[in-house]
Amino acid sequence: MPIRSIRLIRVPCFRCTVDNSEPTLAQRIDDLAADFQSLDKRERLELLLEFANRLPPLPESYSAQKETHRVHECMTPVFLFVELPEGRVQIHAEVAEEAPTVKGFVSLLAETFRGSPPAEVLQVRPDLLHRLGLIEALGMQRMRGLNAVFNRIRGEVARQVGAN
Amino acid sequence: MAEGYAHPEVLVSTDWVAAHGKDPGVRLVESDEDVLLYNTGHIDGAVKIDWQSDLQDAIVRDYIGREKFEKLCSEKGIANDTTVVFYGDKNNWWACYAFWTFKLFGHEKCLILNGGRKRWELDKRPLVKTPEPKYPATTYKAKGPDLSIRAFRDEVLLHQQKKGPLIDVRSPGEFTGELLHMPDYPQEGALRGGHIPGAKNIPWARAAAEDGTFKPRPELEKLYLQEAGLNPQGPTVIAYCRIGERSSHTWFVLRYLLGLKNVKNYDGSWTEWGNLVSVPIAKGPD
Repeated sequence: MPIRSIRLIRVPCFRCTVDNSEPTLAQRIDDLAADFQSLDKRERLELLLEFANRLPPLPESYSAQKETHRVHECMTPVFLFVELPEGRVQIHAEVAEEAPTVKGFVSLLAETFRGSPPAEVLQVRPDLLHRLGLIEALGMQRMRGLNAVFNRIRGEVARQVGAN
Repeated sequence: MAEGYAHPEVLVSTDWVAAHGKDPGVRLVESDEDVLLYNTGHIDGAVKIDWQSDLQDAIVRDYIGREKFEKLCSEKGIANDTTVVFYGDKNNWWACYAFWTFKLFGHEKCLILNGGRKRWELDKRPLVKTPEPKYPATTYKAKGPDLSIRAFRDEVLLHQQKKGPLIDVRSPGEFTGELLHMPDYPQEGALRGGHIPGAKNIPWARAAAEDGTFKPRPELEKLYLQEAGLNPQGPTVIAYCRIGERSSHTWFVLRYLLGLKNVKNYDGSWTEWGNLVSVPIAKGPD
């Protein structure tokens, strides 16, 4: 059942020049956290599943290099491509169908971070799962894989910013 | 399929579930690693029980207590005389975990769908995405806890000192202490790597065939009786892993498929033992 009360997440196009009316990543995360926190635990999981269902397929051109982009800390196959076209974050990913929780979180991060300046992504606090109320909904023992995804994205952004 | 096992009556086939899964007095229960997998498709009529949010206490490191278990069964439409058929992903790993928890509270009629989700999907049987069905609430009365299937740390220490049989079902790298956790797996922390001295290492998934079903009895005997040297008429066997989930799969195999009378699951497992002060630990292959 879709969660109808959720605000649409505003995602700026990464090709656009900076527009001061666009919310910052921090503001978008605040909105997202407020949305998740307004739901009960079951609804939070359903919302996460909606994110999982709308993760776009990995573009064909990326599949050859999949193995080098695997997040090994995750028990199920997760492949992350973090890029900075025109200085804005863009994430492509593929997650095994049998891991909808991880897929949902990857999709949520890809959608929320898309088009953000790297500096804003690097400022996202590592307590994101807590702020979204997902620790409560999923249980502590499911956090490591999800934290690994978050850390991989931040690590990749930091590495690419440092390399430039 | 189930021929040769000590208790073949605890296993049912996909054919049986297709024919009887919605019979009155039968309740299908799906238990998976991923809490959302059920929502992506499940066997028609099945309810969902999650190993963390339903079976573990949210505050104390423990299983839920009797009252919460009674409430859970009532909500899922499970009565004391319901035949509960567990199935799930990953060779029925979490289905066995739920099965063990139901046995802890004395539920009598527990069955496992041999092969779980994998066998069901290989057989090209349908999965539905409908919301979890609601069944009329029951007035469930739990028994137990049955501590004849659960070991605590002091008992494990005594057992180890008496050189009682221990089965460590983690990966070889965790057993030797080379890795603190399963390769590619999120892990719950332990400050020391290694195993309980005297334990034999038989990784849990060696009991499962390619299609997720249990291996035939002769192969299981080779693993546990010959390789690990367990004696079916011998003293109590204690199985452990990291938090007692993989070892509930092995507990099921030893207890029901090989018919060992006394098998306990040490759910404190390595995340407890590897953090305890002063307990003996062995490193390396032996």
